[in-house]
Amino acid sequence: MSSKQSILHALKRVAVEPQAMPEINVSPRLDDVIGQFETNLGAVAGTLHREAGLSGLQAKVDELMAQGQQVISTVEGITGNRTIPETAHELRDIDYAVIPGDLAVAENGAIWVNNKNLGHRITPFICENLFLVVTADTVVANMHQAVKQIGLESGEFGVFIAGPSKTADIEQALVVGAHGACSLNVYLT
Amino acid sequence: MSTNHTSGAGSAVHAKKAEIFCKDEARVDWHSKALWMLREKRDRAASSIPEWEQLRELGSQLKLHTLTHLDQYLEEFEKNCLANGIQVHWAKDGIEHNQIVHKILADKQVKKLVKSKSMLTEECHLNPYLESHGIEVIDTDLGERIIQLAEQPPSHIVVPAIHMKKEEVGELFHDKLGTKAGAADPLYLTRAARAHLREKFLSADAAMTGVNMAIADKGTVVVCTNEGNADMGANLPKLQLHSMGIDKIVPDLDSAAVILRTLARNATGQPVTTYSSFYRGPQTDGEMHIIIVDNGRTDMLQDKILAESLKCIRCGGCLNTCPVYRRSGGYSYNYTIPGPIGIAVGAQNDDTNSIPWACTLCGSCSYVCPTKVPLDKIIHHHRRLKAKAGKLPYGKRSYMPLVGNFMASETMLNCSMSVARTALRILPGAMLKPFSGAWGKYRELPIAPKSSFETWFNKNRGQ
Repeated sequence: MSSKQSILHALKRVAVEPQAMPEINVSPRLDDVIGQFETNLGAVAGTLHREAGLSGLQAKVDELMAQGQQVISTVEGITGNRTIPETAHELRDIDYAVIPGDLAVAENGAIWVNNKNLGHRITPFICENLFLVVTADTVVANMHQAVKQIGLESGEFGVFIAGPSKTADIEQALVVGAHGACSLNVYLT
Repeated sequence: MSTNHTSGAGSAVHAKKAEIFCKDEARVDWHSKALWMLREKRDRAASSIPEWEQLRELGSQLKLHTLTHLDQYLEEFEKNCLANGIQVHWAKDGIEHNQIVHKILADKQVKKLVKSKSMLTEECHLNPYLESHGIEVIDTDLGERIIQLAEQPPSHIVVPAIHMKKEEVGELFHDKLGTKAGAADPLYLTRAARAHLREKFLSADAAMTGVNMAIADKGTVVVCTNEGNADMGANLPKLQLHSMGIDKIVPDLDSAAVILRTLARNATGQPVTTYSSFYRGPQTDGEMHIIIVDNGRTDMLQDKILAESLKCIRCGGCLNTCPVYRRSGGYSYNYTIPGPIGIAVGAQNDDTNSIPWACTLCGSCSYVCPTKVPLDKIIHHHRRLKAKAGKLPYGKRSYMPLVGNFMASETMLNCSMSVARTALRILPGAMLKPFSGAWGKYRELPIAPKSSFETWFNKNRGQ
């Protein structure tokens, strides 16, 4: 018998009575979802820019490029000084990446990013700093609502990003910037 | 190389190993406080959402549902993975798991593997196996990297280097990574590890991660980290591997949402982990493999009470709240997974037959568990199983039957309690202490009341 068959065979003898799947019906908190999102994004060490819009972001990107920073953008309307390279490893010196988010979650400050908008899957992780662009009408209340909307086709990769990368593995001291991006700024449009 | 702490010192009982940890009283206090801080953060995060108890109940029910339909969900998961271009392997135990992983890596001539945290690969002792076959394995979670460099096993499932002080990490990094001597600033040390590990990510031939959830109807694995190390690994080299226990399956995205809402809140008090990544296929021109592992889980499912321990989502909340874990350290448990959940899933493999007693049955672990694993009930059940198998620890085997007879006789009990009360009042403590055994080692003897509770009750409340 193969290992697969022996595992499936053993599973015919589970001692617990079969249980029904519960209905998942959790009431969302719909008051001021953008405000909730801003608070929770702050709690996970990200920053929300509510008023600047795309023009504000482009101004910021221009300023960074003038300082000699390497910026790559996959957001329509935002121009950086780098283009998507052939191999993922060539992104190793990117200082700033500008990426569109598909939706944002108010209860925890997370933003859903899909690989269709990344060039390479590694882009939001390998950059030193990350800018995400989110449309205000895509902010949902909680994860239950979010998973109903995330597009994740066969073969794809998607990720909820809640703030810059962080760790507290050395004596529980919070350090922002572990292996992924060291800062996260979110622009609302 | 990772060491396997279950071998070698295998005959030392929990109390003996705890005694080693307890020698440094200041460190015990520091350890206990660090973990209690996590418990407090967890309480704040849990009470910040009004539906917390509803989510715990949903988590418990959906995990129980999945566990009682596991054969269907595993087959559905495999079918959908294959449709997504993911290769699926099945392993009945740790040895077979390691062989499968080695074969995949050897076929691609992999020399360097970057790994993100996975308690399952610790359970299977994968690192030493691969290293013995000439493959360099680099643990990339900061805590895991620290203990890997220190050649120690993890002492906690979420914060594996919680037992180490920053000065010790500084010394270790100075030795291994060439950081400044005497440096102990966590920011400086973390940045040094970032630079060191970035080179590893960029030069690795393959990446391996654990799995937080496997979504049956999508053929997708979910991996959660705060550091982004799993993603830095899996998205650079073209070959990615994921190891999962059969208990990691959830039916659909709705179920995953419930667990994502409780996992980080209960682990560290964060609203969600920084990265919750959903892999539904390999990258362009890449390969993705999933290894589904049993390693004793189907056996546990055949015991009604033990089965519920497989509802666990490995948040570590039970460790942080456990008064015994906090004061005895992760290395006293004789198993890869310490604390209450470690006893629940590891006691049957414990050759010392002592860890089910590393618990006061206070129930705090069950109270905080996000999927309502009845940990205290399971630990109590393990004690019964050990007794039934004739494997009670040495002391308990000899004196417990006597205690049982003694307690069952009202006359004997009343008579000796009366003698004890008098002795405690009139004899010096130094003379009585030896009779209290291990109990009195770290405690003062109690002040005895003049009469028994029974006398008091009959006088004041009796008919």
